[in-house]
Amino acid sequence: MIKKFIHQFASPKTYLFQVDRAYPYIFYISLFIYLAALFWGLFLTSEDFVQGNSYRIIYLHVPASFISQSLYLGMAFASAIFLIWKVKLSAYLVRSIAPIGAVTTFIALVSGAIWGIPTWGTWWAWDARIISTLILFIMYLGLISLHDSFTDNEKADKFLAILVIVGSVNIPIIKMSVEWWSTLHQTASITVTEKPAIDPSMLYPLFGSIIGFTGIVICLVILSSKVQILKREKNKSWVKDYV
Amino acid sequence: MFNFKFNSISDAIFMQSSNGQYHGLYVWSVVLIVLLSISVTFLVYKAQIKNIGKKIK
Amino acid sequence: MKLLKFELLKLRKKSRGWLGPILVFVLIMTAFPLTVEILNKDMGQSFFSVLWIAILLVMMLATEDIFLEDFNDGTLEQMAIKQSSLSSVIATKIFIYWLLIGLPISLIGALYGLGITNSADMAIKLTPVLMITTYIFLNVFSFGNALSLTKGSILGILITMPLVLPLMVVLGKVVIAINFGMNFLGFLFLLLGILSIIIIVLPMIISFVIKAHLE
Repeated sequence: MIKKFIHQFASPKTYLFQVDRAYPYIFYISLFIYLAALFWGLFLTSEDFVQGNSYRIIYLHVPASFISQSLYLGMAFASAIFLIWKVKLSAYLVRSIAPIGAVTTFIALVSGAIWGIPTWGTWWAWDARIISTLILFIMYLGLISLHDSFTDNEKADKFLAILVIVGSVNIPIIKMSVEWWSTLHQTASITVTEKPAIDPSMLYPLFGSIIGFTGIVICLVILSSKVQILKREKNKSWVKDYV
Repeated sequence: MFNFKFNSISDAIFMQSSNGQYHGLYVWSVVLIVLLSISVTFLVYKAQIKNIGKKIK
Repeated sequence: MKLLKFELLKLRKKSRGWLGPILVFVLIMTAFPLTVEILNKDMGQSFFSVLWIAILLVMMLATEDIFLEDFNDGTLEQMAIKQSSLSSVIATKIFIYWLLIGLPISLIGALYGLGITNSADMAIKLTPVLMITTYIFLNVFSFGNALSLTKGSILGILITMPLVLPLMVVLGKVVIAINFGMNFLGFLFLLLGILSIIIIVLPMIISFVIKAHLE
């Protein structure tokens, strides 16, 4: 019965129709939240005691890195569902998340590098978290090239899923690298268990930007999955009516 | 209404901090890069969807 | 046991399969002192970087066609159908590769370490580290090879290279530990732990990949 539920829920056609209905809401609401949080963070918060005004990059850097790691975990989860229950939609989602993950990791790396110039005096340092994020970026690119190098789509999906799961060993390394090694990067300001190490007036716009950025990325993933589904299912009858 | 921390537009662009450095370049270049990459990604995907739609028709 | 002997025979016959990587390693390690000014201090610092990179590249080279021949002449299919546990066959194959390629390279690398840093303590501590590292690399790169089996190119191996980069970071720490004589056993156990997980998990994953290829 669970199988029937999953297979019903996992039809690309219903997915597309439902996602089309939700898309405008997600897009405009999250865009508003993100821009409002950025406005708040860039213009209305006072400068940091140590870093001065350059700390404002936090409102752009932290959501990007958080999302890039979460996207990878989402891919790993979807890969597991694909391998266990053979839900094709999951495989489409994995392939569609990969480029978005690459873009967000790129944003995280570049914003971090530019932030490093006034803060640490250098735009690059070979410390554990930066290296692991670079590895994450390379992995995203590798995943895309692996999938696209196969002409047989079924095999491509399977191998992509396997590689995603094997590569997920990198995520704990990124998250824990600031605890395990003493690095240039500072430790987490927001954890689940402790009081935040950051002032509340700076914390709220940070939350806002994380939530807003998440919504924007979800919209991007929706668009990307549309492309994947249309490409892969283009011979089905419902696709002609859909476009 | 809003409690702006910068007193004028040029202040907001240059963002001088208490240690004398000008941080405006860094912050605004990051803002530009982020907004640019996201918009470009959106445009690329919208164009791809249109292309596929045309090919299917 | 019979499987072990069979795989051993296969690899020994293909002399360029195991001799090649060893010779490349010797070539790299010999070329290194020639291209660096003979200042003892500097050589000690950069020796380890060259060592780890040489091992990385040589292991990549060694696994370039670890499954390719068997795939091409149908042996792999037979093994997949006949043996109920393809993963043990794969594990044996990787073990043989390690015996004939990884182990000699570890000893040669330790000897070079002795020659360049003139510290017997360093060389003795380096040997188990090298042995474990070569084994881990062989496993990971075999996984990469299995992924791109039909393409036959180096794509799969390049794609799995990001997976070993965290290991390289750990290796850097190990070298520091050896140099300052602290916490070496801790790192050794860490490497052993990683190795034990990889030895068991990766052959299973590789057998899954190969079976998917054969469909």
